[in-house]
Amino acid sequence: MKKMTDEQLSELEQDLNAIRDAVVADLGERDARYIRRIIRLHRTLEVGGRAMMPFGFVPPVFIAATAALGVSKIIENMEIGHNVMHGQYDWMNDPSLHSQTYEWDTVCTGESWRRTHNYEHHTYTNIIGKDRDYGYALLRLSDDDKWKPPHSLQFINYVLLSVFFQWGVGLHELESERIRRGEVSLNEKLPFLKDFFRKGGRQAFKDYLFFPLITFPVAPIVLAGNIGANLIRNLWSSTVIFCGHFTQDAETFTEAECENESKGHWYLRQLTGSSNFTGGKWVHLLSGHLSYQIEHHVFPDIPAHRYPEISEQVQAVCRKHGIPYNTGSFARQYGTVLKRIFAFSLPDRVRSKVPALTMGQAT
Amino acid sequence: MLARDNQSTALQWLGKQLFNREDPAAFFDPLLERVNPMWIQEYTPARVEQILQETSDTKTFVLKPARRWQGFEAGQHVNICIEIDGIRRNRTFSLSSSPILWQTQRLISLTIKRLPGGLVTNWLHDHLDVGAVLGLGEAFGDFTVPDPARPVLFIAGGSGITPVLSQLETMAAQDYRAPVSLLYYVRTSEDVIAGEKLEALAARYPALSLSIIPTHDEASPRYLSDGDLAKVPGLNGRQIFLCGPKGLMDLAGELLQSRGVRERDIHCTFFSAPQANLENQALGGQVQFAQSNIEVGSEGDANLLEIAEAAGLTPRHGCRMGICHQCSCRKTSGTVINRLTGQKSGPGEENVQLCVSVPQGPVSIDV
Repeated sequence: MKKMTDEQLSELEQDLNAIRDAVVADLGERDARYIRRIIRLHRTLEVGGRAMMPFGFVPPVFIAATAALGVSKIIENMEIGHNVMHGQYDWMNDPSLHSQTYEWDTVCTGESWRRTHNYEHHTYTNIIGKDRDYGYALLRLSDDDKWKPPHSLQFINYVLLSVFFQWGVGLHELESERIRRGEVSLNEKLPFLKDFFRKGGRQAFKDYLFFPLITFPVAPIVLAGNIGANLIRNLWSSTVIFCGHFTQDAETFTEAECENESKGHWYLRQLTGSSNFTGGKWVHLLSGHLSYQIEHHVFPDIPAHRYPEISEQVQAVCRKHGIPYNTGSFARQYGTVLKRIFAFSLPDRVRSKVPALTMGQAT
Repeated sequence: MLARDNQSTALQWLGKQLFNREDPAAFFDPLLERVNPMWIQEYTPARVEQILQETSDTKTFVLKPARRWQGFEAGQHVNICIEIDGIRRNRTFSLSSSPILWQTQRLISLTIKRLPGGLVTNWLHDHLDVGAVLGLGEAFGDFTVPDPARPVLFIAGGSGITPVLSQLETMAAQDYRAPVSLLYYVRTSEDVIAGEKLEALAARYPALSLSIIPTHDEASPRYLSDGDLAKVPGLNGRQIFLCGPKGLMDLAGELLQSRGVRERDIHCTFFSAPQANLENQALGGQVQFAQSNIEVGSEGDANLLEIAEAAGLTPRHGCRMGICHQCSCRKTSGTVINRLTGQKSGPGEENVQLCVSVPQGPVSIDV
């Protein structure tokens, strides 16, 4: 990570705070209108998708219904749920958009997400050993993890994680790797497991039991469509999220360098540990504006549709302080993610012989 | 009836499974609202049917709530919610119409005076038009007419007349069989709210004796006096209802006490945030917002809601005056003083209203 003096860090903090303050002062009807429009779009797609699904014996209808339901889940998870739970719309004082009570359309409970994502991941971003989102304790994505033979197969793990992403995210808080190491007991995790089964059961009941059964004669079609919709959402959200922190130049940090860190240092870590990707309006909407991962990590609680508007200012601050701003096309960024997963599946001495496989590292 | 309840519980359960929310019916609100805002499920919608200019700064809004609204008793109030610049605002107002109007025509009315600098009252006056839809809560409050009938004295000031209007109309319609007196204090004769209505009531309802007293028509102010009370026959046998600004309420309280009126015969309702006298209390302290992992110090009489907002938090809230309970939260430890009553809480875990709780020493809140 770029070394900055305390003074420089404090200047960085002021520069970024100024951007934030300007947005917060301007929040109002425009933002309320935006999120309500997105919510209407979600409701329309979900109702439309579910209504069309029983007629899925006509192949184009099946495709349209599955796509509509899949996209509705993506929008609900990414642009509505994730962002609402960050408190981006708390200022509206609308009880159905309140961060602490919102419950989203996925296996992971809102409660668990607020703990593991909002708190752990956004506080300890990319600190190896503290940010359990870094590789999800499943993938080796930096040198800080010692290579072990099972890592050579981690590409398969990655594919499985993507396919079953909502279940993986739902089980994240179980901390199975710490249970295996004996650091926590399964007993301590019982309350979490209870919630997990309740919410997971609810999601499975809805998509794999209830909606297929009420359309009994065409149950297999509805079941297949619902599985398809969940799969579309799983693959897309996992891909977007992997592009946020695991690209080639996204940096990782050690616990030692982040001890007693200042707000300025936290900002610096968010800027250098995250990566954006470019794309059209729809790409940004469907990624919940996590395509502006850098802006999101610097300001997790301002409405995400504002990120494109402040991106230029954040880049200017980065240029001023000589901090890299990691962005590129979706294809390029995702390519480097796949490269990272592959590179770290190799033993260090093999990898070090291939110059093309050098990665952003803890300094 | 029970079967229907069972059915609705089962539906409710199913709705929660399908839509991941405690109020599943509201899932469709964003779409229904577009078709007809009166179909909103999250709160009871009410359409503005008519707006009457009462005085230069007071309007009566006649509303038609959706049919599921539960009705009210004369003297009760409601929370309304509106959205101003993207932010939902909840405020409490007294119902000024009689329940009979609700029962016969499904209409209610709120009579609202502009408060200087008041965000919501001014917005209602300037932007709420006929045809607009606002959110309505269920009625609450115990500022209600005694049953069986007993002699009554109302002392009202300014827009504090609103719940009294509802009560008087109801009493007249039911031919309430006991003497009823109203002492109504207004700033000037121009500021009388519903003057014609009051005169008409007095004309057709002989039990009512009406005195409208302008306080500032003359050079020297003419406030409620012991003489006014002396003119009320059988004062000590009456149920007394007070509604008005704090100065009037305090004065009335003192005068009534010196005339030996028993405390339990006096009923008050506030229409602006009352303040207990907290001057001699040591206030402020370290406030820990446990869920947000934030700890801040506070000084003086700042309430927990203000402290939280100053710390960048956005807890759910409503009226900001201790009425609507939207901001009720779990206090896990520490002592707070209730701004309205001056009462001290226990040190343990309990629900507190953030907007009227002032910390006294360290406090931990589940926000």
